[in-house]
Amino acid sequence: MSEAVVVDPVLSLRNLTTTIHSDGLTFDVVRGLSLDIYPNEIVCLVGESGCGKTVAALSVMRLLPEAAQITGGSIRFKGRELVSAAERDIRAIRAEEISMIFQDPLTSLDPSFTVGSILKELIKVHRGSDDASATALALATLAEVEIPDAKSRMDAYPHQLSGGMRQRVMIAMALVLDPDLLIADEPTTALDVTVQAQILDRLVDEQRQRQMAMLLITHDLAVVASVAHRVAVMYSGEIVEQAPVDQLFADPQHPYTQGLIHALPHVSARKEPLYSIPGRVPPPQFTPPGCYFAPRCPFSIEVCWKDHPPLEFDGDRLLRCYNPQSFASL
Amino acid sequence: MRRILSRTGYMILILILSSIAVFYAIRLSGGDATAAALPASTTAAQREAFRERLGLTAPIYVQYFQYAGRILTGDLGNSLTNNADIGDMLIRHGKNSLILGAAAFVLVFAIGIPLGIWASVRRNRAADQGIMTFSVTGMAIPNFWLALLAIWLFASTLHLLPSAGCCELRHLVLPAGVLAFEGIALTVRMTRSAMLENLGQDWVRTARAAGLSEFRVIGKHALRNALIPIISLAGLRIGQIVGYALVVETIFGWPGLGQVLVNAVLRRDYPVAQFFSLVLVALVVIGNWLADLGYVVANPRLRRA
Repeated sequence: MSEAVVVDPVLSLRNLTTTIHSDGLTFDVVRGLSLDIYPNEIVCLVGESGCGKTVAALSVMRLLPEAAQITGGSIRFKGRELVSAAERDIRAIRAEEISMIFQDPLTSLDPSFTVGSILKELIKVHRGSDDASATALALATLAEVEIPDAKSRMDAYPHQLSGGMRQRVMIAMALVLDPDLLIADEPTTALDVTVQAQILDRLVDEQRQRQMAMLLITHDLAVVASVAHRVAVMYSGEIVEQAPVDQLFADPQHPYTQGLIHALPHVSARKEPLYSIPGRVPPPQFTPPGCYFAPRCPFSIEVCWKDHPPLEFDGDRLLRCYNPQSFASL
Repeated sequence: MRRILSRTGYMILILILSSIAVFYAIRLSGGDATAAALPASTTAAQREAFRERLGLTAPIYVQYFQYAGRILTGDLGNSLTNNADIGDMLIRHGKNSLILGAAAFVLVFAIGIPLGIWASVRRNRAADQGIMTFSVTGMAIPNFWLALLAIWLFASTLHLLPSAGCCELRHLVLPAGVLAFEGIALTVRMTRSAMLENLGQDWVRTARAAGLSEFRVIGKHALRNALIPIISLAGLRIGQIVGYALVVETIFGWPGLGQVLVNAVLRRDYPVAQFFSLVLVALVVIGNWLADLGYVVANPRLRRA
């Protein structure tokens, strides 16, 4: 008699819809997004700029700008509903249970406070610690994210640190209270290539040691291939394909996923021009009635233009496509 | 540190140049120094002898160096009208002006900054629009007219406060309020725009993502950064208050430096007018210098960069 161990997801999004009001227009940027993230797992959310990745992450943190609002669906975190949660409860969850790292470390740290005071404030607000223990924890965390000479860096202002160091400070802020879920929104995009790998390694190491769940938002498939356990491909505000990382790269099904992978430069194919998916993401206020990807899809058939395809299970994979075909047939 | 030194150097240079300008302006402004000091029956020869004694017949640049030499040795001279010692006048009237100026200065920030924060937090709502209307009005109303309006309302009509006099708190309220009015209006506007600019920064989102309360995000982080331009503005407010004090002290009969200067100019009392003009110029220049220092102190990116 063996019984399958059922683990509950840390974060569970169901039909999440986020709407932006701008210049009298109203349009959905995230449309019916459903995604589960389990403990000790790295899920990568990939897609082109403007497909709603960041808005989805900000929705989870309830940090949307004034013009944007969650207008439907649910966000369940460890069994609690976040969409309707009180501001006070959300504040207690931020940094303590869900942390977020942003894209641009150069602008994401308050220029008027030292690294140490920023970290200590965070600790004191959440834990009510005294100054000595807050200092000790701040120092230990800075050292853990491999900031050399952490003790003197406590007194440094953000402008005195390099981009990579500032992103390490951001990581320290995100990890200092040992959260269950870390959302990293393009954490390496703004950094030098050499620093990117170090920051990514740091994040993956921390995720392993702390066994936390991590949602990594990126458009860099090389990063996805090296760190993800599971990948969700987002297009125009919704998930079009989701699969374990090996499956996704070995056998991508959705034409959009195939296009993304196909567009990666290959060392062997030096003489061929680099492939790019034709067209661009439709702006959210002008989406086609059927499959959102149909206008750019080499395999679109009649039904794709009329009906919006549902997200359906195919073994471990979720796929939103009426006519999955291999790019090899082109 | 180098910035502070260079700013201090500039300050001294401006002080010297402006003292020359003031000196020339007073010499060239026309009028007769002897009219104030001597009775109407004095003969032209006696007047000429008097001018000779005061050193007014020498070329102006020579007079300037003589005057600068005396000032630096502490000899401030005497009034031509009542022979009062200018040093004593400086202490007696300076104290009154200091009280009035300090009260106005405190009001500018104690009222201007909270109103500005409030407006920024309630952006485009009724409170913001009300505060901004007040601010535009405050900058548009000339202070001499506001002073008359205040006297009419609070003194003549409501009989709440005296229209003029010195030196109790009830005498201070109207002149200090009028003197501060435009500064408040400017500070409100400055605070609001600085707050809005900072509240739109990425690090505000980071502070919220860290689970900090809105009170901390706005009242500590955004305000700390918004204060940089406001502190810089503070030194300029000193200059503004000094300038307006001439009018306000005269209208409210507040016996300060401004009133002394206005009277001295009207009576062609050269030594007094000259010295107090220089004092006011020095105050404005020092205010601007303090603004530069304040900017460095307030902004860590300048302090250690």
